[in-house]
Amino acid sequence: MNKKTAIYLSCSLGIFAIVFCVALMVGRYPMALSDFFKCIFSSDSAYNTQRSIILNLRLPRTLMACFAGIGLSVSGLLYQEIFQNKLTSPDLLGVSSGASVGAAIAILLGLSSVFISVFAFVMGVATVMITMIVARLFKNNNSSVTLILAGIIVGGFMSAMLSLVKYFADPTTTLASITYWLMGSFQNAKMTEVYIMFPVMLASCIALLLMSWRINIIALGREEAQTKGLNYKAYRISIIAIATLLTALSVAFCGTISWIGLVVPHIVRLIVGRDTRKTIPLCMTFGATFMILVDIFSRTFTDAEIPLSAITGLFGTIIFVIILVYRRKEVYNDNN
Amino acid sequence: MITIKDLSFRYDRTNHDVLNNLNFEIFPGTVNVLLGLNGCGKTTLIKLLAGLLDNNRGDIQYDSRSIRELPIKERSKVFAYVAQIRSGNDEFLVKDYLAYGFVNTLKFYESPKKEQLEQVDAIAKRFNIEHLLGKELGQLSGGEKQIVTIASAIIQNTPIVILDEPTSALDLKNQNLVLSILKDIAKEGKTIIMSSHNPNHALFLNANVLLMNDGEIKKIGNAKEIIKVNILKEVYGDAICLSKDLSYEEISFN
Repeated sequence: MNKKTAIYLSCSLGIFAIVFCVALMVGRYPMALSDFFKCIFSSDSAYNTQRSIILNLRLPRTLMACFAGIGLSVSGLLYQEIFQNKLTSPDLLGVSSGASVGAAIAILLGLSSVFISVFAFVMGVATVMITMIVARLFKNNNSSVTLILAGIIVGGFMSAMLSLVKYFADPTTTLASITYWLMGSFQNAKMTEVYIMFPVMLASCIALLLMSWRINIIALGREEAQTKGLNYKAYRISIIAIATLLTALSVAFCGTISWIGLVVPHIVRLIVGRDTRKTIPLCMTFGATFMILVDIFSRTFTDAEIPLSAITGLFGTIIFVIILVYRRKEVYNDNN
Repeated sequence: MITIKDLSFRYDRTNHDVLNNLNFEIFPGTVNVLLGLNGCGKTTLIKLLAGLLDNNRGDIQYDSRSIRELPIKERSKVFAYVAQIRSGNDEFLVKDYLAYGFVNTLKFYESPKKEQLEQVDAIAKRFNIEHLLGKELGQLSGGEKQIVTIASAIIQNTPIVILDEPTSALDLKNQNLVLSILKDIAKEGKTIIMSSHNPNHALFLNANVLLMNDGEIKKIGNAKEIIKVNILKEVYGDAICLSKDLSYEEISFN
């Protein structure tokens, strides 16, 4: 890691820490900085209410926002690298659309939030497996294109399934719940979910950081990776499995959150280039910070909570346009 | 030594063999040029040798061992491969791209060591591409990119280097540069297997020529024996001629 990347990483970690603390302080029950430190570092019973708000409400949702931000940003980056296509998002192989169908069925059946998450996770992973099987049926050597095509087909099928489930849902109760779930929220985050997400996130991030240099070589394509001595198929399946796991877990607990998996990798690449030894750690810090900021905005901007996808969509599209304009200028300057 | 035994190959969605019962040997330290018309099977043969295609009938053996039995990592220590046109990611820096050639010597969590990065500098110096090390692959000209790609294959330090039409996208000056580099590499005792559309390149390299037609090897022999008008006419048609107007002899068309 060079000096420039180390500086960016240190700065982004610093900003992340500040944003994390701010997320614990702000909300419908605002807290002064001094009160915040007192309830964190003292056991004074006068701050029990504030402490309870922080530990039981804000900490789990901020941690979940952090995990979802890391998971979606990193999986977006991984998909973009291994499919050599910068416009792919974590839903490329249908994981979000599958998870949405699973969650919608669970809501339709009137199951509890635990089962909604379980249904969403299982359906998300199953949809990716169906995509892989459909791609194999094509028997085409250009497996990246066939996999993307299979993802579009299976994703389309799952969207149709979701429409059917919504059609059968009660418009006054379950349909509203399904629609709200589909827009993503950290409102119901609990520490039990954090305990499930944390070890998976930690193991995935360590594995990705360890093989980050090799992901560069996988991003060169099958021919070059294989003739340089990497088992391309094994690495690609491992990377897809990690990306799917991260996305499926995020979607299962927080609902579908659009744009972050597309925008954050682009911002990071714009700053440090294409080397995944630099982009993976920065996607983690940028993704977590971005998602926590979105969550702060969602719960403080109005009295009611704004769905996450509405905010990520608004900011994501604007940021994406800025990136494209900036890149266009860069290319123009390079050519002149 | 590479031994090709009864080698045939058919792509999944075709109903005819692209390669038809090939039998030949490639000896260590030789330069071998595959010549033939488009679609005669040169690239298929190159990709089979590089281990990029399988499901062939027959066998390809390296030192009496089938290359099918060689794990990918072991194979990459024997064969280095240079594609016809680099179609992969072009945003990596040249110095990083060259260092990827060391991946088969490292554990899954390791990245290149200091002495390997010094080797990258040494190879860059040898190929006169030091000034390109800090550039992205996409910023290079076709000739520069091809030389960088060849340098990345040389970094693998394999006894055999396989190149698919390494001069196809290059102007005359860069063709000469790449061929001179290949001649230098051959002097180190490496075996070179390459495909080409220009018989003069085989003459320049004093290569062993494998003249292919319709998935078969029509002739094998030294370039001086094979690159003759009457032999080439069997594959390329009657328009082939030997130009003697210049200070050197050159195969061309009427």
